[in-house]
Amino acid sequence: MEIDGVAPPVPEKPLFEPLKAHEMSDGKVQFRKVSVPPHRYTPLKKAWMEIYSPVYEQMKVDIRMNLKARKVELKTRGDTPDISNLQKCADFVHAFMMGFDVIDAVALLRMDELYVDSFEIKDVKTLKGEHKSRAIGRLSGKGGKTKFSIENATKTRIVLADEKIHILGSFRNIKIARDALCSLILGAPPGKVNSKLRQVTARSAELF
Amino acid sequence: MGRPSEAAGMEALHQLKSTEPPQWLAPSASLSESARAASQHLFASLRPHVRKSPFDELLVDNFDAEQIWQQIDLLTQPLVRSIRRRVKHWEKNPAEIENLLPEVADGGKKVAQGKKMEEIDDDDDDDGGDMDMDDDDDDDDEEMDVDNDGEQDGGKDEGDESEEEEEEKSGGIEDKFLKIKELQEHLEDEEARHYGLDAKNKKSKKKSGSKKLEDEDDDSEEGEEDKEEDDDEDEEVDLFAGGDDEDEEDEMGNARYEDFFGKKKGGSEPKPRFKDELGEDSSSGEEEKEEELSSDDDDDEEEDDDENVNKKPKVLSTHEKEVQKIKSEIEKMEKANLDPKTWTMQGEVTAANRPKNSALEVDLDFEHNVRPVPVITEEVTQSLEEIIKKRIIEGQFDDIKRAPGLPSKAPRELKPVDENKSNKGLAEVYEEEFVQQTDPAAAPLSFSDEQKKEASTLFKKLCLKLDALSHFHFAPKPIIEDMSIQSNVPALAMEEIAPVAVSDAAMLAPEEVFSGKGNVKAEVELTQTERKRRRAKKKRKFKAVETKKMASKKAREDELRKQKEGTLLVVQVTHLCCQINVMLNQKL
Repeated sequence: MEIDGVAPPVPEKPLFEPLKAHEMSDGKVQFRKVSVPPHRYTPLKKAWMEIYSPVYEQMKVDIRMNLKARKVELKTRGDTPDISNLQKCADFVHAFMMGFDVIDAVALLRMDELYVDSFEIKDVKTLKGEHKSRAIGRLSGKGGKTKFSIENATKTRIVLADEKIHILGSFRNIKIARDALCSLILGAPPGKVNSKLRQVTARSAELF
Repeated sequence: MGRPSEAAGMEALHQLKSTEPPQWLAPSASLSESARAASQHLFASLRPHVRKSPFDELLVDNFDAEQIWQQIDLLTQPLVRSIRRRVKHWEKNPAEIENLLPEVADGGKKVAQGKKMEEIDDDDDDDGGDMDMDDDDDDDDEEMDVDNDGEQDGGKDEGDESEEEEEEKSGGIEDKFLKIKELQEHLEDEEARHYGLDAKNKKSKKKSGSKKLEDEDDDSEEGEEDKEEDDDEDEEVDLFAGGDDEDEEDEMGNARYEDFFGKKKGGSEPKPRFKDELGEDSSSGEEEKEEELSSDDDDDEEEDDDENVNKKPKVLSTHEKEVQKIKSEIEKMEKANLDPKTWTMQGEVTAANRPKNSALEVDLDFEHNVRPVPVITEEVTQSLEEIIKKRIIEGQFDDIKRAPGLPSKAPRELKPVDENKSNKGLAEVYEEEFVQQTDPAAAPLSFSDEQKKEASTLFKKLCLKLDALSHFHFAPKPIIEDMSIQSNVPALAMEEIAPVAVSDAAMLAPEEVFSGKGNVKAEVELTQTERKRRRAKKKRKFKAVETKKMASKKAREDELRKQKEGTLLVVQVTHLCCQINVMLNQKL
């Protein structure tokens, strides 16, 4: 083959738009179903519109409540831009079911890097009876102030559901919050936890 | 007190003589009285013979024994010396004694005894005796008679030993001439003793054969050099009696140091040599001494030492003596320098390097690093208490103040952790955070930031006002973007209090400063008319200013005058009132 001075013109690189959810699944519709616990039924009813609006309008995901099955169902539409939207909405609804507020849970929709971490008290320390009760009390503090302090310091949201603890936030912050909560479960006084939190947050703020 | 008569005195003497010895043990008034009387009598009898006595009579009233004795001593000291000299003279010339006092037959023993006593004390008085010779020469004749009288009375029991000695002096009274001769001889004796052979030779020559009598008496008793000299001379005479004078002289003249002492090696060697040379030099006094004194070791040594001392330096002048002294000192010092130093002069000395217990004898000087314990006296405590009281009154206590910590880096802002439920949703929180990271300026100010801003603006205003109060030069207004007033003040004044760089540039540009209009001409460019115009303008201005000044001045003066008049009037009025009052009072 002869090498000419000028190579033959290369065709332009094709530009493909990202696949829509439909196209990806070859036109099939995808579903997500999130069960509703009984204690969240009434709050769901109250906050339904706030949940529905962002999901349906911004995320372009169909959402409906299956009363008989007591489930929230989510479905992709034709114009769902991204397949992850469905997942995000499902997470969002799931977070609400866990106990988070809608406004907090909406952060899941808006940001990618937010996660929800859950663990139980017995994962940290085996406590029985009164001790468990006291531990739960320690976690929340008087009027919830310890919990709020941790939330504010670490930019997370915490839900204390009896034995279960759910933390919503970015990965790093979840870790900090989790450490604080674990130390509280293990018996550290709130003051100590607060001071530690302060140090940690200051350090983390300096990093950025 | 009157002096008792001679008879009373003699009586007293008798009485004293007659008292038993045991009676003297106990003090008795009568005995003391009689003793005093007797001593007075004797004093009086002696007084005429002494020329230079301060006392005419012995004072005994209320004087104790010591004082009486001193008086007697004063009188008799010179007497005793002269008497001794006399006796000595008579020793040498016993024939004269017989001539002087034929009476003294029974006093011979006393004489002998007196001699003994005298000779024991001879040495001491010899030198003194020379000096007193002249004084006593006149008195000698008289003395002798009186002394003998006193002696016969037998006043030995009194406390006057000197008188005793005086009494026993016996011998012929000689003329002055002879006395002088005696003196001379005596001097020669002395010289011989100090300086050596020649004098002795002379001496021996003169006194050959005149001393046999005395030798025997003296031998056993004397241990002194005078005696020895006499002995030697006598021996000389004894051994070589028979007119060897000439030979002696010659041999003495030829004698040298080496003959006696070998080659100047020392005192020990000569001794054997002495004996060896006995045969060679017949006339040497030292040899004879050797023979005679070989039995007496003490005498030997004395003689040898004497000779050695006499032989080496001969007669030294004062300068030579001084030189010798200095030399000996120098030698001493050199020796000291060469010797190893004493342990005190060496530097650091341990116990092994110095003799045992030597540190005890030396005054050691230590450096005591320990402060001496303060002695607490009343004054110390008082002073302390005063200080305490003063401090309490003042309120000035020495409290320990916390030292200011080192300035570390500024404490980072700690946001107080809010314990309330946050109003914002989580999404909003993250939103804010994101915005802050990406675009800090556009971030919506938090509540605290706004407050801070407000506070800072207020504070700046306040600071401005305060600075204006304390600074002399104009402080610029704070920068408010809407309007900025610039005045033509040197830039230096507008800047900071301590400007880093000094600049005297003006704030305003020249065109801003310039306040004029129209065509501005310089002086040189002006025409005549223009110059005139300018001048007229200036004059007008000046006049206007002047008139203004004058007017103001006038006004002021008028005011002052008016005031003065006013005050004058007031003064006059008050004066009148006073007068009126006075008059009224008077009338009343």
